[in-house]
Amino acid sequence: MDQLLQYVITGLSVGMVYALIALGFVLIWKSSSVANLALGQIVLLSSWFTYSMLVQANLPPIVALPIVIIFALCLGWVIERFALRPLIAQPILSLIAVTLGIGYFIEGVITFIWPWSVDALPTLFPQEVVHIGPAVISQEYLWVIGICLAVFVLLTLFFRFHRMGVAMRATADDQMAVQACGIPVTRVFSMSWMLACVVAAIGGVLISSIGGITHGLVNTGLKAFSVVILGGLDSFVGALVAGPIIGLLETLGGGYLTPYMWGGVRDVIPFIIIIIVMVIKPFGLFGEKRIERI
Amino acid sequence: MSLPCGIRNYNYAQDMAIFRTKTHWGMLIVFLVLLFTVPPLTFNHLWLNTVNTIGITLIATLGLNILVGYCGQLSIGHAGFIAVGAYTSAILTNRFDMPFLVGLIAAGIVAGCVGIIFGLPSVRVKGFYLAITTIAAQFIIIWVINHWGLTGGFEGISVPYASIGGLVFDSDVKQFYLVMVIVLIAVFVAKNLMRTKVGRAFIAIRDNDLAAEVMGINVNYYKLLAFFIGCFFAGIAGALLAHTTYYLNAEQFSFTDSILYIGMIIIGGLGTTIGPMLGVTLVKIIQKVLLPIYMVPWLENSITSLPAGFATGLAPIVFGLIIVLFLILEPRGLAHRWNLFKAAYRLWPFSY
Repeated sequence: MDQLLQYVITGLSVGMVYALIALGFVLIWKSSSVANLALGQIVLLSSWFTYSMLVQANLPPIVALPIVIIFALCLGWVIERFALRPLIAQPILSLIAVTLGIGYFIEGVITFIWPWSVDALPTLFPQEVVHIGPAVISQEYLWVIGICLAVFVLLTLFFRFHRMGVAMRATADDQMAVQACGIPVTRVFSMSWMLACVVAAIGGVLISSIGGITHGLVNTGLKAFSVVILGGLDSFVGALVAGPIIGLLETLGGGYLTPYMWGGVRDVIPFIIIIIVMVIKPFGLFGEKRIERI
Repeated sequence: MSLPCGIRNYNYAQDMAIFRTKTHWGMLIVFLVLLFTVPPLTFNHLWLNTVNTIGITLIATLGLNILVGYCGQLSIGHAGFIAVGAYTSAILTNRFDMPFLVGLIAAGIVAGCVGIIFGLPSVRVKGFYLAITTIAAQFIIIWVINHWGLTGGFEGISVPYASIGGLVFDSDVKQFYLVMVIVLIAVFVAKNLMRTKVGRAFIAIRDNDLAAEVMGINVNYYKLLAFFIGCFFAGIAGALLAHTTYYLNAEQFSFTDSILYIGMIIIGGLGTTIGPMLGVTLVKIIQKVLLPIYMVPWLENSITSLPAGFATGLAPIVFGLIIVLFLILEPRGLAHRWNLFKAAYRLWPFSY
């Protein structure tokens, strides 16, 4: 029982991080219909950058974390301005391939600068364990869940009340109409990339503060796609609901299935879910069903 | 642009011919003769090895090109399907002592069937959804390979040399002939397949699958057929890879390789036969020769304080940049440049 509770809490917190990364994907997809497959590499890059700020430059977290956010903003802007902007209105294949190319490039940069490939982030959260009923749970998981929820609330408020947020929602709805209204669509695109990178960076910092920085974070970014697929490509609520589901399935499956299966089953559960969802309900739980017209 | 100056077609066969003039045939024969004599006689071990790799990669890329370039079904798990082929052949020849040719054919068929299984979602979804499905396929395949007893797991599996009858392909030169013969067959099949009913159906599906369906093309059947053919090629390439490297490990079929395969057909030019050849040759020469043999030592000598990850990080940086730049500056790839060159050369010395 206490083991179950432990799995649930870890699953929820991992799932919330997945949801956060997935949100970064949905942001871009909604505003510009670009599928960002470089998400995993962006997560990894921002984790390493955080490591550089905290350990190599030895800055206190209160200084380092804002620098990371600014770095993520710049990263998003650069990617959008120099790689995606020239490809507006190109076929989807080019758009997917260009993000793959960006991901590959970023991976090279990472090996270039941080060749040792595995390291731990200094602890950001207090380490004392918490007792919830019979289970003993490391406090950082609760912090992660809390921070993810806070980011969700902030983003929701941004989309609800901020001018740019409203413009982004409008762009997602109808690009032509938005352009006719005089909203700078290109700026909306840049903004969505910048926000997406920040969200992904926060996700990366949270997950690597628990599990350390490894190359596996790229796969974490890819696993976030299962959240996107399950929740529906264009749905914020979907990401928020599907994230914890995937996280729970992953930890519970990893916890209870491993004795009966080959090892490492935990890491492929999200990918198996992708295949299952694709066959049964391709547009996800909350995704908009698209009807094609000739 | 497509016809040399002064050539007329008097019947359908002439119009459809790939090689129209005597000069074409002459150039083809000269090329083939050079191909089969120059590399094995004059190249050193490094270059011959590179040429073999180019050949094997080309087979896989031709398959990917059929799938992505002609049929429009995006697959980012090609390295996974190549792994299926490689391991099928390795298991058959190592564990069950089957002859090489059986392993080769079985590799293609098994990889094709696995491709159909993971291609099933293509019946309902396309574009990004399909890309994600194939990424998932890549990870599931590698996971199975790493944990299944038959495949040797993380330790890998050793593979015997390819052999047909009493002939054992145990040196670079012999493998060169083996690979090149299969490459020629693959190019011939790939080029001609696209001129048949099947190929035209693929192109119709790529351009507009709804319209294709309305016109009476069985879209689901042809999509799955494209997956089968594309992965069949991948399987053949995998088997050749297995029998020329003697030792297999799942590390050889990583997700980044899948990205690079997509990169190669984009650099070469989607939906052409010459494209994959140019793309693979360019990428593999950069990857195998230019970077490790020339660029890295040169940079290390000229710039003193390089970070430690420089040598391994350089290749992804270069290829990432090349892919992005090609998509932005020349989305039709090297094949388009080649056509422009051909047109200019035919009209030379006149500009039009």
